[in-house]
Amino acid sequence: MTTISVSSEAVRTVMSLQVTSRRQFMALAGVGALFASGTAARADGATDAATAFMTKAIKDLSGVVNGSGSVGDKAVALQAVIDKIVDVSSVGRFCLGRFWRSASADEQKQYMDLFHKVLLKNITGKVGDYSGVDISIQRTSTREDGVVVTTTVVRPNAAPAKVDWLVSQESGQPLIVDVIAEGTSLRLTQRNDYGAFLSRNNNSVTALIDALKQQANS
Amino acid sequence: MAGSRRNLRWLPTLGALALLGGLCGCATPPPADDADAMADFREANDPLEPTNRVFYAVNDTFDHYLLRPASIAYRDVVPQTVRDHTHNVLGNFGLPVQLFNDMLQARPRRAGDSLMRFVVNSTIGLGGIFDVATGWGWPDHDSDGGMTLALWGVPVGPYLYLPVFGPSSPREGVGMGIDYAMDPFSWFGRGAVVKDLSYAKIGLSALDARSRVLDDLDKITGQALDPYATIRSLYRQHRQSQIDDARDDDRHTVPAWFTTPTEAATPAATDGVKK
Repeated sequence: MTTISVSSEAVRTVMSLQVTSRRQFMALAGVGALFASGTAARADGATDAATAFMTKAIKDLSGVVNGSGSVGDKAVALQAVIDKIVDVSSVGRFCLGRFWRSASADEQKQYMDLFHKVLLKNITGKVGDYSGVDISIQRTSTREDGVVVTTTVVRPNAAPAKVDWLVSQESGQPLIVDVIAEGTSLRLTQRNDYGAFLSRNNNSVTALIDALKQQANS
Repeated sequence: MAGSRRNLRWLPTLGALALLGGLCGCATPPPADDADAMADFREANDPLEPTNRVFYAVNDTFDHYLLRPASIAYRDVVPQTVRDHTHNVLGNFGLPVQLFNDMLQARPRRAGDSLMRFVVNSTIGLGGIFDVATGWGWPDHDSDGGMTLALWGVPVGPYLYLPVFGPSSPREGVGMGIDYAMDPFSWFGRGAVVKDLSYAKIGLSALDARSRVLDDLDKITGQALDPYATIRSLYRQHRQSQIDDARDDDRHTVPAWFTTPTEAATPAATDGVKK
């Protein structure tokens, strides 16, 4: 008898627990659904904005790269396009990582100017090689730090490459904050490069600024 | 088998070198109270960095004086068409290993792609000279022993920069060994001719691989402040993306014309309810 009462007690407890948990679950699910629908709506807006932005950005990029004109003209035109579609200050901050916070205001400014210069130099330096490029949007997906627009980049005499563009609205408007070519993130690679340089130079941002000066003026 | 064993003789030497390197050249971790520096140290996951950098310098010298000039010559002298077909043939040789790995990774569609590529390209593609299969809907993909081990949940381990082979890790190193053992082309044949052919294949593979990244690698090493760290980062990310691609490749194995049991069952069940 004792056993039975104990077990029925146990059953009741379990059932009440279940009821509570079911109620809680329903309440949670309701909140979750609300939250999810809110996020989904926001994400849809962001996805649409990112897709529209990337469609135009790709048109501008291909227009310059595949357009007529000398390599010098193209490089100048490409610089203007990049400044319009890339969130350079966000990328620059990311690449400096934790050292951004420890740098003085003056160092931050110097670094950012040089980073901008070197970035443009590296991209536009090979503008002639990009001729004949064709970029087509495949799909989009949402990440916590923005919308990833996946494209296929086809160049003459090269296998098609998968290139993801991370578009963030952090600055108030959609802008590119990372380019992920065949799974390798350009800004992460750059951050690891700077990080290794800094750790081998006593974490001195001044040393990094000097190295960037050399790169910018070489 | 005797031939393949003989070819594997360098493996213990390599292991001994790595071990020796590991004993004499460990990176000094940053002070424990510097949390940020410690996080960076863990992220780099390169406890053998000093040794790795030595091997990087050795390979870099080898590349600078031998492989890079040879690859430039290969690119400049041999016409693009011939180089493309050579690349196809070399790729075709690797397909059996690729197929075994696809199967070990439990990726049936990828295994199907590899199998059909091997069958079609070896026959209609004239021994792999022409890549007919890609156009027929059996595209190429990456698959090797290191990826298989990764999908089985084997942890990657610390970064290793190996002499000759370059960026690696204990997992990828073991994967390379497994691939070599699984390669049917390493099973048979002995004697001078087979040996020479296999050396020729290794040499040609090196030229092919290096010549395809001449400009990219020049650009990477030219623009990096620390080329060693940049290559470490690129290698890790690329490896991870190859593994993710294999993991996420869950294409249906059922042909499009075949009605799946669920689809067939659904209308019948609804009918049942109506009645």
